[in-house]
Amino acid sequence: MTLRVDGLTVRFGGNTAVDGATFEAPLGRVTGLIGPNGAGKTTTFNACSGLLRPSAGQIRLSGKDVTAMVPSARAQRGLGRTFQRMELFDSLTVEQNVAIGREARLARSRPLKQLWCPPAERTEVREATEEALELCEIGALRRETAGSLSTGQRRLVDLARVLAGGFTMLLLDEPSSGLDTAETKRFGEIVIRVVAERGCGVLLVEHDMALVMSVCEYLYVLDFGELIFEGTPEQVRASDVVRAAYLGSEAA
Amino acid sequence: MTDLLPFLVIGLTTGSVYGLAAMGLVLTYKTSGIFNFAHGAIAALAAYAFYEVKVVRGLPWPVALLVAVVVLPPLVAMLMERVTRALAGATTTMKIVATIGIQLIITGALLAHYGAAGLTFPAFLPADTIELFGVYVGIDQLVSACVAALGALGFFVFFTFSPLGVRMRAVVDDPDLLSLAGTSPFAVRSWAWLIGSHFAAISGVLLAPLIGLDALLLTLLVVQAYGAAAVGLFASLPMTYAGGLLIGVLAALATNVVSGSVVLSGLPPAMPFLVLFAVLLLAGKRRLVDIGATRPTPPQPPLLGPRTARIVALVVIGIGIAVPFLVGAKLPVYANALVFVLIFSSLQLLVRTSGQVSLAHAGLVAVGAATFSHLAVGAGLPWLVAVLLAGAVAVPVGALVAIPAIRLSGLFLALATFGFGLLLENVVYRTGLLFGASGSLPAPRPDGLGGDLPFYYVLLGFAVAGVLLVAAVGRSRLGRLLRAMADSPTSLATLGLGVNVTRVTVFGISAFLAGVAGALYASQGHSATGTPFTSFTSLTWLTVLVLCGAARSAAPLAAAIVFAVLPAYGGGEADGSSGWMPVLFGVGALLVALHESSARRGRSHVSAEWPTGSRAAERIGSPGRAAARERVAHRDVDSAVRVRVGAAGGAR
Repeated sequence: MTLRVDGLTVRFGGNTAVDGATFEAPLGRVTGLIGPNGAGKTTTFNACSGLLRPSAGQIRLSGKDVTAMVPSARAQRGLGRTFQRMELFDSLTVEQNVAIGREARLARSRPLKQLWCPPAERTEVREATEEALELCEIGALRRETAGSLSTGQRRLVDLARVLAGGFTMLLLDEPSSGLDTAETKRFGEIVIRVVAERGCGVLLVEHDMALVMSVCEYLYVLDFGELIFEGTPEQVRASDVVRAAYLGSEAA
Repeated sequence: MTDLLPFLVIGLTTGSVYGLAAMGLVLTYKTSGIFNFAHGAIAALAAYAFYEVKVVRGLPWPVALLVAVVVLPPLVAMLMERVTRALAGATTTMKIVATIGIQLIITGALLAHYGAAGLTFPAFLPADTIELFGVYVGIDQLVSACVAALGALGFFVFFTFSPLGVRMRAVVDDPDLLSLAGTSPFAVRSWAWLIGSHFAAISGVLLAPLIGLDALLLTLLVVQAYGAAAVGLFASLPMTYAGGLLIGVLAALATNVVSGSVVLSGLPPAMPFLVLFAVLLLAGKRRLVDIGATRPTPPQPPLLGPRTARIVALVVIGIGIAVPFLVGAKLPVYANALVFVLIFSSLQLLVRTSGQVSLAHAGLVAVGAATFSHLAVGAGLPWLVAVLLAGAVAVPVGALVAIPAIRLSGLFLALATFGFGLLLENVVYRTGLLFGASGSLPAPRPDGLGGDLPFYYVLLGFAVAGVLLVAAVGRSRLGRLLRAMADSPTSLATLGLGVNVTRVTVFGISAFLAGVAGALYASQGHSATGTPFTSFTSLTWLTVLVLCGAARSAAPLAAAIVFAVLPAYGGGEADGSSGWMPVLFGVGALLVALHESSARRGRSHVSAEWPTGSRAAERIGSPGRAAARERVAHRDVDSAVRVRVGAAGGAR
């Protein structure tokens, strides 16, 4: 299930946040989307997951045009995401947070399914929850309230929740922000493991170049909403265009 | 055509006044984030103040006018600013409850002091007529229309060109950025409340000669104002004024068209609601973002452990069983209270679990009562079947009003339900569609259980079942999803849940319980009428529930006792919606709302001060500002200002 974005343009009034971005994130690969502050990365994510409607362009999942679909319909097609500011269910426990990842997907938009959980689904939810907790190594935290955790732990809960949902394409929005070096490294290992074990695809928006270079196999670079470069991490590192964009933004 | 001209004149006169009132409403809503349900009550208060000074005290009318539109509004504005400040960071529900509390206090006090019957408002403008474009126009009408139009125009000029007006627009755009620029949004907001209160007061005094001095009717001015505000999408002031004119003219023309038809006689008063409903239905979500929206408060942990709670519940049921042997002739009071346990349970299901507010609950109960009578008497169905079907019929009726509003925020749902309650009251109750030509239908009790004592136990069974149902919903998957939704609807949607379906589902369950309660209420009283189920009743119910701690499991029981049992032992009021009781409930609910919001601020973290991720995502629809906010939230002030400037440049 490939995520393909064609000529994506998002305008806020007169301000063009994303301008004709075209890229692709296939299964079994970690694809990176990088760029300086305000380059339009999170806006791109919001357009992909359906939280905002693009001014132009198309978003396809396995060839199917999903541009007009609401977020929940895209999620039903296998597109999951995390949030830069971790939209956890703060008043629920870690285990409940992760379980909702699966339950929400099972309940869909059907009133009866939302009301009642059949026994078979109960087993399914439990198994998916356990697997995700184990994969993210947060089983010990299961009884803690999500609101009481540290940023690093919250990142992992956010990831576990979307993993429990069994999505095939994961959009991870700046997972390393607020994490220390050791936590970032661990996060990267988990992402690599997930892609290897499940064969799902990952699109990663990230600031931490060490994490990007260690987990991504292919990179797209955005600046002022435009795609300025694409290639392997080595090519990106060697690129003058990319270096200028980053230095330019720091000098400003 | 010439036949219509007089109606057009009346329409433009009243419409101009509606427009003025609506501009005040929109201004205060936009600057404070608080939608003032008491706006019409302020108008009523001003009109009664005029009456008090002129008629009761016998002073000349300029003095009365001075008191009503110069002295009174600043006092009200001071109160409103205090309340706004205390409500900072409160949930949408609590903000709604607080201003509804104020409305109940004012309207309830006016009703209790001056009586519910309309009084004659002393005419103070000359009633002579002059001929204008071939139509005879009263000078009083002309003056009213001109005062309102000049007020609206003057305010528009002030708002567009004066420095304070510019600062007000800045508060509307982004209070955070304004305070960064060194201007206090609070000071600007005080001015907004002052202007808003003046507009309300002036429209009250102008409207009273036209419609008579009736506290309820004048309070409903706020509904005309909603409709007008909806035409301006709760944002544009000129469009709001135009909306007022439109509603005034439509209502006046409708009066002409439907005169003589009983079925349609309720149409003119329902006009603002129809306009409001059309806007909610047609306007996209991104055009109607509730600026005061915040996250609901997460459910509190229970006071008692599960075992203790179970024991307490059994004791309460035991007391319920013993009640008939303890209260003697007061048994019907307690039987009624059991019905109210069901009503408050259904309201609590909405308020507690999903953070939604229904202000049409009395209407849903009335639908249940009437349906029950039609099914049990008209169609001859067995008693139990008729009761359950009455509940089932209330579900689509509830969904009908909930679906357009539910995709918006809690505030717009509250507005739509309130309007819907009024529509039922004005159009359906009166015209016999529900309760027949006499306004009252027979309602049987079950065979063999018709005596007061056996029927008390039937009601007890229903009350217990209703409470258990609400508890079961809380524990079901729906309950889990609703708790998660209280924290972040955005992430639930990205996880694949149709969150609007969730909201409608819980609304439907609530409507079912309300319908069943209506059937039981009718059965208990042997007849089904609309009289006890006005929109004023709906407001009272909500405040009583909040007063009794809507988040607690025992709240429906406590609310039923406060609303239906205590009045019977007090001043001999029928129930909690008569006499001075609503005033007490209003004060209580206001205090609870203020207390809860201060408690929330006490334990709040950054997310109460700054827009949270989910809000930012909800606001993505309001371009530029959302992007700016997101950056402000990151303390990235420079780029926030840049985005705003960019957006403003592009918009013009």
